[in-house]
Amino acid sequence: MDELKATYIQEAQELLENLESSLLVLEDNPSDHSNIEQVFRVMHTLKGNSSMFGLSVIAEFVHDLETIYDKIRQSKMDLSKGILNCTLAALDHLKLIIFDSNLQDSGNKENHFRLISEIRLYADGGSETTPFQMNNAEVEDKITGTYFIHFEPNSDFLLNGSNPLLLINELAEMGPSFVVPHFKIVNDISEFDPCTCIASWDILVETDASLETIRDVFIFAEDDARIDIHKFLITGIIQNEAFLEKAKEANLKPEHLVLEEIIEIAASIPVEEKEEADQTEEVQLVTPVQKKINEKEKAISSIRVSSDKLDELMNLVSELVTTQASLSLFSENNTSTELEVISENIEKLSRRLRDISFGMTLIQINNMFARFQRLVRDMSDMLGKEVVFITEGGETELDKTIIETLTDPLMHIIRNSMDHGIEKAEVREQKGKPRQGMVKLKAYYSGISVFIQIIDDGKGIDVRKVREKAISKGFMREEDELTDKEIFDFIFYPGFSTAEVVTDVSGRGVGMDVVKRNITDLKGSISVESKPDAGTTLTIKLPLSLSIIDGLLVDIYGVKYVIPLSVVRKCYEVKNADMLKNFNKLLLLDDRQVPYINLRSEFEYEVTMEGNSQLIVVSDGDHEVGISVDHIVGEYQAVVKPISKYYRNQDFVSGATILGDGSIALVLDTHKIVELYTKHVKMEGKL
Amino acid sequence: MEKNILIVDDSESIRLVVSMGLKEAGYNVVAGINGADGLRLLNENKVDLIISDLNMPVMDGITFLKEVRKQDKFKFLPLLILTTESQESKKLEAKQAGATGWIIKPFVKDKLLAVVKKVLV
Repeated sequence: MDELKATYIQEAQELLENLESSLLVLEDNPSDHSNIEQVFRVMHTLKGNSSMFGLSVIAEFVHDLETIYDKIRQSKMDLSKGILNCTLAALDHLKLIIFDSNLQDSGNKENHFRLISEIRLYADGGSETTPFQMNNAEVEDKITGTYFIHFEPNSDFLLNGSNPLLLINELAEMGPSFVVPHFKIVNDISEFDPCTCIASWDILVETDASLETIRDVFIFAEDDARIDIHKFLITGIIQNEAFLEKAKEANLKPEHLVLEEIIEIAASIPVEEKEEADQTEEVQLVTPVQKKINEKEKAISSIRVSSDKLDELMNLVSELVTTQASLSLFSENNTSTELEVISENIEKLSRRLRDISFGMTLIQINNMFARFQRLVRDMSDMLGKEVVFITEGGETELDKTIIETLTDPLMHIIRNSMDHGIEKAEVREQKGKPRQGMVKLKAYYSGISVFIQIIDDGKGIDVRKVREKAISKGFMREEDELTDKEIFDFIFYPGFSTAEVVTDVSGRGVGMDVVKRNITDLKGSISVESKPDAGTTLTIKLPLSLSIIDGLLVDIYGVKYVIPLSVVRKCYEVKNADMLKNFNKLLLLDDRQVPYINLRSEFEYEVTMEGNSQLIVVSDGDHEVGISVDHIVGEYQAVVKPISKYYRNQDFVSGATILGDGSIALVLDTHKIVELYTKHVKMEGKL
Repeated sequence: MEKNILIVDDSESIRLVVSMGLKEAGYNVVAGINGADGLRLLNENKVDLIISDLNMPVMDGITFLKEVRKQDKFKFLPLLILTTESQESKKLEAKQAGATGWIIKPFVKDKLLAVVKKVLV
């Protein structure tokens, strides 16, 4: 049962998340019909699941909620802001009570009944509601009598998979019975269609079952057959000789037994009172309702796989890619065209296999962004600030575990931005800024890293205050001269908090030091930039979980390196002399000035004026920088392996890869190279 | 002979509960996550009975059962609808589309088995 419960909870959580994003879309566009349908469907599934697991408290709760959306989707009601707020509150409550389905927590209990009364208030707004019932227990009368049942299926009865004999068997199991079959007459064999039902039956059964139970036997058949049920409160009809005589006559004939005749026979049986309940079933025909098919419904088909298996798959794919590289090299050195074809096919397949298997662990960052949308909305209400939330690069993909670990830190940062960063609308107006503040979440790839930025246009961080605080805490000395950036870094020190007043919203013990620790645990880094009254930008850098990348294999002085293809913009051939004689390190490429770094000289190899070099223009944030190498070998799928501790501090190398011939190539992080180079140039300038 | 039952429901919990109940009673169970998946499984397995949800993404229950009935070989295959909607209109609609019967959620195992027995020879 534990496994069942775990499945229930996991699914309920998914459903609730789904519900939340649909509701937030509805907030901006209350008439979006497909989303209302989606909301209804999710609630419906949740109700069904909860009741299946006997969690009547939850089922009842969701039932009431569902009633509201049922009315909205049938246009009996409008989706108001009040309803939406109430639903979102109910959603938060549901997230808690799926773990506390008996409302043992007193807070939950109180909340529960408060919400229920609020929900019912809305639900009753349209028209009367139907209370949710878990079980409709029925009281059975235990009087043994004889049922006379006339059962005549329609001719197409068999076409929906029904089997009339099963129903008759079911009746026969209830007690002593007598069945008289009848057949319609088929004049010619050519008219005979085995798909058409030509049989009908008269059934007499002595049982103490209630009329309800007898009807239940025909529950699936009542629309496709004529069913008349008549109850006699006596037994003994089926043993009666007059009856047996009549039954024999009618057997297999098209004509049925006549009710009046049976009544007559029953009357002649001299036992007790023969009161009869006149219960003749009537068959109703109702026109079918046209069902609207919601084509916009999203596919959420997925399966769960243990992460161990995935890891193993990744490892195998990595091995495969390495082996494939050897094969490619071998086929290049051999002149067999057949081998070349095979090798190329394997390369294509392994590339696809790699993409698919690595894509499995990645999820779009969008999923997480949606959660913050809600946070910003709730907080702006609470703080009385007007804030618009913008996301960018939601399609950026990250490993699922990284995204999960990131949620809390990001939540904290956004809270901080909203609480301490963004000013109240009036203050903003005085400063000449738009009334509405902005919090922006931005994600993008760079090199083999993913960057996430949280940008606000609030009042910024006061460098002086941070400095004073840092001195008072003993993090720095009064006479130390530090750059603003260095001072801002104190924010991440344990025990540092600049907010004068700890508000309800942020600053509840979890400080930026915890945020930093969380991100460092993910092998990432965080930095902060801030300008007074212009706002604050926090940048989180995370390693890309992909361990196989598409790279450009290059050669510098006989040593091979890999540059991630994702940063490469364009390649040029330049004269060595042009680079070496250059005094401002700028080259004119396609009529643009591009700064460049000569790796040969940076790596302290011998340089020469003769010949040409290849210049690879890579993007570095918003800029483009050229990086010169001796020559380009070609595209290469690199399985990036971590490098030993001796290289740990050389962060311009992000890893190493094994080439087809078994030798090793280092994977370069161009972003770091540019950064290092810039520092280097600045230092030289100072000297 | 063992009977094979195909369950089609988008909710993993429901699939689990139904298949556990049926497996305990000695039936073989295959499970699909929506109508389209159900159709695929139906053609890949020998199926004696289908139990399908109505509200499903990609292909809902009504469309699914119409698709099933379109194929001659499944004309007489018993097909039960699994639904919380006890409203007459839904049941009728399903009947019109070719459903043999229905099971109303919530149900207990005994009820499920009783209904299955009702339609499965």
